[in-house]
Amino acid sequence: MTRKIMSFSAAAALAVMANAAAAQDCSVKVGIVLPTSIDWGKPIAETALWVADMVNEAGGVDGCKVESILRDDQNDAKVGVDAAKALVDLDKVQLLIGAVGSGVTIPILTSVTVPAGVMQISCCSSSTRLTDLAAEGALKGLWFRTFATSQVQASVAAMVAKEAGYKKVTILYKNDDWGQDLGKLAADAFASAGIEVATSIAITDAQPSYRAEVTEAIGTAPEAVYLALYPKEGISVVREWLSLGGTTKMIGANSLKSDEFRDAVGMQYLAEFIGTDTSSPRTDSATGFVAAYEAKFGTAPTGPGLPNSFDATAISLLAYHAAGRDATGAEIAAKVPMVTDPTGTPVTADVAGIKQAMALLSEGKSVSWQGGTGAVAFDQFGDVSAPAVSWGFGEAGIDEKRYFTLEEVGAFITSMQ
Amino acid sequence: MIGLISYLAFFATMAGILAIVVLGLNLQWGYTGLFNGGVVAFFGAGAYGTMILGGRPEPGQFGGFEWPFLFALAGGVLLAGAIAWIVGILTLRLRHDYLAIATFGVAVAFESIARNAEWLTGGAKGLRGFPRPLEAAIGNTFVYGLCFLAMVMAVLAAVYWALQRLVQSPYGRALRAIREDEVAARSLGKNPTRLRLQSFVIGSMIMGVAGGLYVAFYAFVSPQDLAPILTFQVWAMLIVGGAGNNRGAVLGAFLIWGAWTGSGFALSKFAPAAMQLYTGPIQYILIGTVIVVMLLWRPQGLLPERITQRFTKTASKVGTTSKGAF
Repeated sequence: MTRKIMSFSAAAALAVMANAAAAQDCSVKVGIVLPTSIDWGKPIAETALWVADMVNEAGGVDGCKVESILRDDQNDAKVGVDAAKALVDLDKVQLLIGAVGSGVTIPILTSVTVPAGVMQISCCSSSTRLTDLAAEGALKGLWFRTFATSQVQASVAAMVAKEAGYKKVTILYKNDDWGQDLGKLAADAFASAGIEVATSIAITDAQPSYRAEVTEAIGTAPEAVYLALYPKEGISVVREWLSLGGTTKMIGANSLKSDEFRDAVGMQYLAEFIGTDTSSPRTDSATGFVAAYEAKFGTAPTGPGLPNSFDATAISLLAYHAAGRDATGAEIAAKVPMVTDPTGTPVTADVAGIKQAMALLSEGKSVSWQGGTGAVAFDQFGDVSAPAVSWGFGEAGIDEKRYFTLEEVGAFITSMQ
Repeated sequence: MIGLISYLAFFATMAGILAIVVLGLNLQWGYTGLFNGGVVAFFGAGAYGTMILGGRPEPGQFGGFEWPFLFALAGGVLLAGAIAWIVGILTLRLRHDYLAIATFGVAVAFESIARNAEWLTGGAKGLRGFPRPLEAAIGNTFVYGLCFLAMVMAVLAAVYWALQRLVQSPYGRALRAIREDEVAARSLGKNPTRLRLQSFVIGSMIMGVAGGLYVAFYAFVSPQDLAPILTFQVWAMLIVGGAGNNRGAVLGAFLIWGAWTGSGFALSKFAPAAMQLYTGPIQYILIGTVIVVMLLWRPQGLLPERITQRFTKTASKVGTTSKGAF
């Protein structure tokens, strides 16, 4: 009997030791597919690797070291998809971070990660196609991005129009992918705010005159006009608009935020102009990210997508931690709301914050990640919102009128869906 | 093990699709001497044509006719052929580098249309795919990957066989005659203008086939797939493999695509952690070096053009060599 107990306890002790050894030696592989061979892509990848180091410093994912495998996609769909497929099939990653170009990200989703049930998160893909695919259910909830789409500006335009009491709006949009996208989103946003959209008219670059377009727009007798234009054609359009007796009630996208536009149109006509813009968040965590980045790399994080890359990597790794080292992609994706729960304990974007978040997540408590882009929260399509501002032209330059917090913008976007 | 097979099948599928493009270019350049610098336009025409005809409907979007895959593919191929025919009539009187510049311009224009004609092509957003052929019936993604590979290989084999027949026939000899000396070919009663146009259209339709397979495989197409880098990759494959030899064209496609992706894989595996960030540029250098070394060491390609026995015999009877006056 004693011998039996002895051997049992010895076996148990061995098992415990084996477990402890496994906890130290184990690693989780995470795939990263980014255009590292392109000048603006390298800092994005650098930021992602930096976060992985921070997570390892904080104890790793579920006690396992994060082994990040970085592949270059050259911003070429074929190369990126092949890299992703190798990561999923050969390295068996359950989490893929990437890519930047939507034309690379989408084929990876449709032909690699979603069929294999791997979670994918991107810092920087901006196409509304991704929202469409998610809305169709084609992405099975495996997809997230930390890049705010044009949706935010469109929503804020509708919010300020509603506040100003406009009932009928005409949209003039620049005829390129940005303008087409924003014009369409704004039309939807106005409609859901109960504002009638009289008509949407495309403005093609470099025309000598926009009289035809402007006459058509004025013919619809709108109360206000929404301008998704760049200053160059914006100046010509607004001049003709005013000379033909159009209203001075104008709402403009951030692209018109220029002195050139103000001086060419004239301040006397711009008193009622309201501009919109997305804003970097005014939270301690966002400024904290900037300071930490400067301390690490010696330069300010001025390139595109750096705070987004930081948050995408951190959120997905924390979700991985919450789901456990053997989790599948779907299980990791299911834990993302626990990391970005607005009612959860706020955690800061540094090693101490990551440590704290891991401890809370291990206890089954949710946290609110306060990252480089603020308190990130995803909607059901994996999209994020961003804070915004409205602004106007003043004698001295551009004056900010109002700051819309993430929650306000998010609430409006949710009300649209 | 299953992972390895799954990845290799995926790799071979993409290499097979690229090999079809290279075969199309080989007919144009290798056999007829037409310098097509706009490969991506004809590949893209096949891709977008297939997607528009076979895709699912979307609000505010032309297309989405949900044709069965083979019909959609045929439509895409015809579109590629039609564009090649129009382009050919306009530009095939140009020679060598002039033709290259003109066709490159066509590719840029095509990309520009795809990016801007939103009602037709989805603009910068691209077009999302249709359910991949038979995917639902097969179910298992691993088995499906193998089936798709089998389909691509079957198409590749069919294109290869058809081209071999074509270039070994008197028609193929006429094409080569035009490549070598157009005046001589005309003096023998051949119509170079018509033959050049036919070769250009057939080659472009073969590229269109590859484009259609590509969108079926990725279930997505966007202007990013039309970047000029594809034209460069396809040319590199043909030059390394051997212009004027269909087996060389296929070999070049597999080798270059293998080097392109394999170098990235090897660097991510074996480069030290501190070097990980620099593997992208290193990969470019490696690929460039391979191509330069090939050009210096074996400019005719790994499998150079071989004049068939029958042709040489016939040729010697009429007292001329295959290379004509040169």
